[in-house]
Amino acid sequence: MQVQPDALWYKDAIIYQVHVRTFCDSNADGIGDFRGLAQRLDYLQNVGITAIWLMPFFPSPLRDDGYDISDYQSVHPSYGTLDDFKSFLTGAHERGMRVLIEMVLNHTSDQHPWFLESRSSRDNPKRDWYVWNDTDTKYRGVRIIFLDTEMSNWAWDTISKQYYWHRFFSHQPDLNYDNPAVREEMWNVMKFWLEIGVDGFRLDAVPYLVEREGTSCENLPETHAVIREFRARLDKEYPGRMLLAEANQWPADLRAYFAEGEEFHMAFHFPLMPRMFMGLKLEDRKPISEILQQTPAIPSSCQWALFLRNHDELTLEMVTDIERDYMYDVYARDKTMRLNLGIRRRLAPLLENDRRRIELMNGMLLSMPGTPIIYYGDEIGMGDNIYLGDRNGVRTPMQWNGGWNAGFSAADPESLYSPLILNPVYGYQAVNVESQKRSEHSLLSWTQRIIKVRRSSQVFGRGSIEFLYPANHRVLAYVRQLGNDTVLVVNNLSSSAQAVELDLRRYKGSILIEMFGRNIFPRIGELPYLLTMGPYQFYWFRLRRL
Amino acid sequence: MEESVLTDDLVRQLMNVGEVDILVGLPTYNNVKTVVPVTQAIVAGLLKSFPRERAAIINPDGGSNDGTRERVAEASISDVRHVANLYTLRTLHSISTQYSHTPSTGTALRTILAAADLLRAKACAVISPESTNAQPEWIERLLRPIYSENYDFVAPTYRRHKYEGVLLTNLVYPMTRALYARDLREPYASEFGFSGRLGGQFLGEEVWQHEVGRSGAEISLSLSAITGGYRICQAFLGTKVLADRRSSDLVGAMRQTVGALYWSLEARYSAWSNNSEVQPVPTLGKEYEVTLEPVRVNRKSLRDMFSSGVVELDSVLRSILSDSTMADLQRLAKAQEDEFCYPEGLWARTVYEFAASYHKAVMNRDHIIQALVPLYRGRMCTFMMENRNASAEQVEKNIEVVCREFERQKPYLLERWNGGK
Amino acid sequence: MRDLVVNELTQAWQEIARGFAHLLPRLLVMIIIAFVGWAIAALLRSILRAILRLAKFDRLSESAGATQFLHQAALPSSSELLARFVFWVAWLGFILLGVNVLGIVGLEDYVARFFQLLPRLLVALVILFLGLAAASFFSRAALLAAVNANVRSPRLVGLSIRSMLVILTLAMAFEELGVADVTILTAFGIVFGALMLGLAIAFGLGGKDLAREFLERRFGTAQKEKEEKEDELSPL
Repeated sequence: MQVQPDALWYKDAIIYQVHVRTFCDSNADGIGDFRGLAQRLDYLQNVGITAIWLMPFFPSPLRDDGYDISDYQSVHPSYGTLDDFKSFLTGAHERGMRVLIEMVLNHTSDQHPWFLESRSSRDNPKRDWYVWNDTDTKYRGVRIIFLDTEMSNWAWDTISKQYYWHRFFSHQPDLNYDNPAVREEMWNVMKFWLEIGVDGFRLDAVPYLVEREGTSCENLPETHAVIREFRARLDKEYPGRMLLAEANQWPADLRAYFAEGEEFHMAFHFPLMPRMFMGLKLEDRKPISEILQQTPAIPSSCQWALFLRNHDELTLEMVTDIERDYMYDVYARDKTMRLNLGIRRRLAPLLENDRRRIELMNGMLLSMPGTPIIYYGDEIGMGDNIYLGDRNGVRTPMQWNGGWNAGFSAADPESLYSPLILNPVYGYQAVNVESQKRSEHSLLSWTQRIIKVRRSSQVFGRGSIEFLYPANHRVLAYVRQLGNDTVLVVNNLSSSAQAVELDLRRYKGSILIEMFGRNIFPRIGELPYLLTMGPYQFYWFRLRRL
Repeated sequence: MEESVLTDDLVRQLMNVGEVDILVGLPTYNNVKTVVPVTQAIVAGLLKSFPRERAAIINPDGGSNDGTRERVAEASISDVRHVANLYTLRTLHSISTQYSHTPSTGTALRTILAAADLLRAKACAVISPESTNAQPEWIERLLRPIYSENYDFVAPTYRRHKYEGVLLTNLVYPMTRALYARDLREPYASEFGFSGRLGGQFLGEEVWQHEVGRSGAEISLSLSAITGGYRICQAFLGTKVLADRRSSDLVGAMRQTVGALYWSLEARYSAWSNNSEVQPVPTLGKEYEVTLEPVRVNRKSLRDMFSSGVVELDSVLRSILSDSTMADLQRLAKAQEDEFCYPEGLWARTVYEFAASYHKAVMNRDHIIQALVPLYRGRMCTFMMENRNASAEQVEKNIEVVCREFERQKPYLLERWNGGK
Repeated sequence: MRDLVVNELTQAWQEIARGFAHLLPRLLVMIIIAFVGWAIAALLRSILRAILRLAKFDRLSESAGATQFLHQAALPSSSELLARFVFWVAWLGFILLGVNVLGIVGLEDYVARFFQLLPRLLVALVILFLGLAAASFFSRAALLAAVNANVRSPRLVGLSIRSMLVILTLAMAFEELGVADVTILTAFGIVFGALMLGLAIAFGLGGKDLAREFLERRFGTAQKEKEEKEDELSPL
């Protein structure tokens, strides 16, 4: 089996987000590596994954979980060598899976040779590769992203006695994209990996590339110009590769990152995710349908990336104050769970380990218009450890079995890069791949089945969406359509049984076929279509005309 | 029976709303001129005071043909209809139903109660569609005591002109206070708040099987709250905006208030026949306010209607009143303009004798109520005369005097109630 | 000749005596029947009195306005009246039965007619009672409405309605009894018609301005000025 050539492959993909460090350790040093990851490719293929997104694995002082890169063209020694990566990549392609890697464009680590050179003196040729200033009053008013740790976007460099600009941590100085040399070098970096064979990049922190005085320094036209340049070169030299934008913005602002198909192929739909959780708690579809209504149409070659949770906190930047307060109160009463305007918990703990809710959220993720991204471990319902600092609570080792170190590593438990989850509810003896593989009714098996159903039709990834607004506001219902393929999705967001009447007159005469059991449901007539649903239940119906 | 107030369409709408925490009722009949600002105030109030709670507005309509229902429906917030610049967590529902082709405040209230019961609302309020001065704060004042402080009934208090609402200040208020021992200023109210507990209990009462359930349900609700031992308080709502009602609709007004009051005396005999101290009712905000703008009043016509009423209804009144009261009234009917005075004592006695005769049904009960109307006009004339130059405090003192007189004569009512003529 | 007269006399005497003897037992029976009838009727009367007292018939008739009527006519209370009426009717019935026994031809016919009349009498009484009650109710309703609407001479309104209804009731009762029904009917028709005609003329000629004003106020859109300017006050 080889990777199928298809320019729009990312529209049908099921993406698995994983950090190589957390997955599998092959050399017993307590840290996951590429050889271990390669050993687990069969598992991923069985789950139904078609693309793997790797978190940064480059050499780095690891002060920001690898997003502070000190060498773009190598692999951090803890995770193996470049050759290990290449054989992992080959293994993935053999199993029909594509690989996406991170590309942190906006900043480097302060240990990167470029910065070490740049800061050494004001006359250094690489001085202009970063953004320096005498005072810290330039670009006043620009918001600080890591509110919990940083006081300012400028940091003072004692060596060259100037301030340097950093939108993130102070040890991550921003590159200066007004400098053509920087742009050329970054293209070379991307080219390096494209040559090796990676299928795409997640470009981290794109809105912040370029700064201009008197602006918010986000989403500037100059930034878009840089992206367009990269995309043009990518299309010319490596067609079929994909660029995914990480831009935590309102949908209207996100639209610009697609342009008319000249910038990113994909972008994360950040505002949707907290609203899905909100809608669930409120038992009201309004937050969800509202944000999707406000989501602009995007070019046909472009795609939204949808997710429930990821390695970061559940961000509440893109909600109003009243919504944020509500989310804090219902999902994160304990203030230790809150971080940087977000909530740092995994999917299962957020949903109180309620199997029905987990299924419902996954069902929505896999049926909404976009490409779903599954965070590693959420397919078995892993828990988190909020007492680990920063966002490390959601980055604990993958739980493979109930044995030594959960099957993650043969090393001493104390030497693991992160402690395992041990409590009786989410601990590795309770939640692990091995025991879930043995049961047809485990969350893992269920996830495999639903991914299979999703992949059985392209309508989910490529089809249009039309919302139905039944009078019962606790039900979210929409119709996906692609050509002759029509699928009706109905979700009960409430914890109690509901009756809902749907106006399906447009599809009158169609027979409903429930997609999991493939049983026939009554034909659509003139009258409103009555469905009764159990708590947190959802239906996927294929509409057939025979 | 509940089936008669809940049409299939309404049941379907209720099903789609599901359980709510707050329900606001807005009964309408051809109120298109005034209903829009009222609805907007309700929506704003709910979003401001109860943003996280599940809320719904229910609009029982008596068959409007001027588009009232549509106006109310437009004010709801759903995923389809947005109200600009209002960030709301939830859908705010608006349920609209036509309960009949003729308006009846009692049936509208019953529809609201039935909906509140089915939706298991914890706190409910009813707002009059004619209160053009409705504020978002009304929602807070009427509902907060119930939702957060465990009260069961919130009655309004208003700022009124000294000559407005004389029927309330001279009959309904004193009688309720004297007999039921609660200082509730507005027992007959067009806007109030009540808890789901009280609503559910009131829904099951007998009053709905009788005519009084159609016209006098509001007073019955207040009395239910008092006699049922529920926690009651009052909230100041501002100026009372008056309906486009003329004083000739007095007969209807009396049916709704006095008729309901008299009727309730039967069922609640054990509650009011005991003698107890009048308990004050806690008030949030001001207790009441009296405004004193000069108004033109035709006292002569009131007096004439009183006198002619006493004379013409002689045969009817004789069956209702005692001989001594009858004699007093006849003397009064012949009095000259400056001697005309219908004192509180005689008034209280009149009202009580009417109550006793109502109880004994000496004739058709509706006729008894109608017979009281000219006598009330006489009392109204005297009250206005007494207060024509009075200050606000003076007016309140005079009302207090009336109340005390009613309290003092309560034994007399009991005597006539149980004994003979 | 003396013997002949004596014979004839004796024969005649014997005939009378025979006739008398023939009649006497029957007379006796009749007297007995009458006596028994009296007793039964008296019993009925007291039973009825008790029943009516229990059923509070007096109050009922009071609300129907019958009591006032009877009072004015210096008659006893309605229950007493009814009881006595039943007594007399019952006793009369028994007496007539006795008369029947006498076997006097011709009388039987009248007796039969009397008994035929009885049920219709009952119906007529019921009609009368209901009619009087209705008259009382509606006249009072009209009176109250007129007083409260500030109509002039409200008592006249009440009285006219009562009169019309009473006349109607009486006419119906008599028609039921079959007593001079045609006469009554015709008289009623004439009176009623004349009354209506008179009202129409009066209203039409004298009240045309009033009528116009009334119609304007009811169906027109212009608000007329009130004679005495006053602010509208609401009682509630």
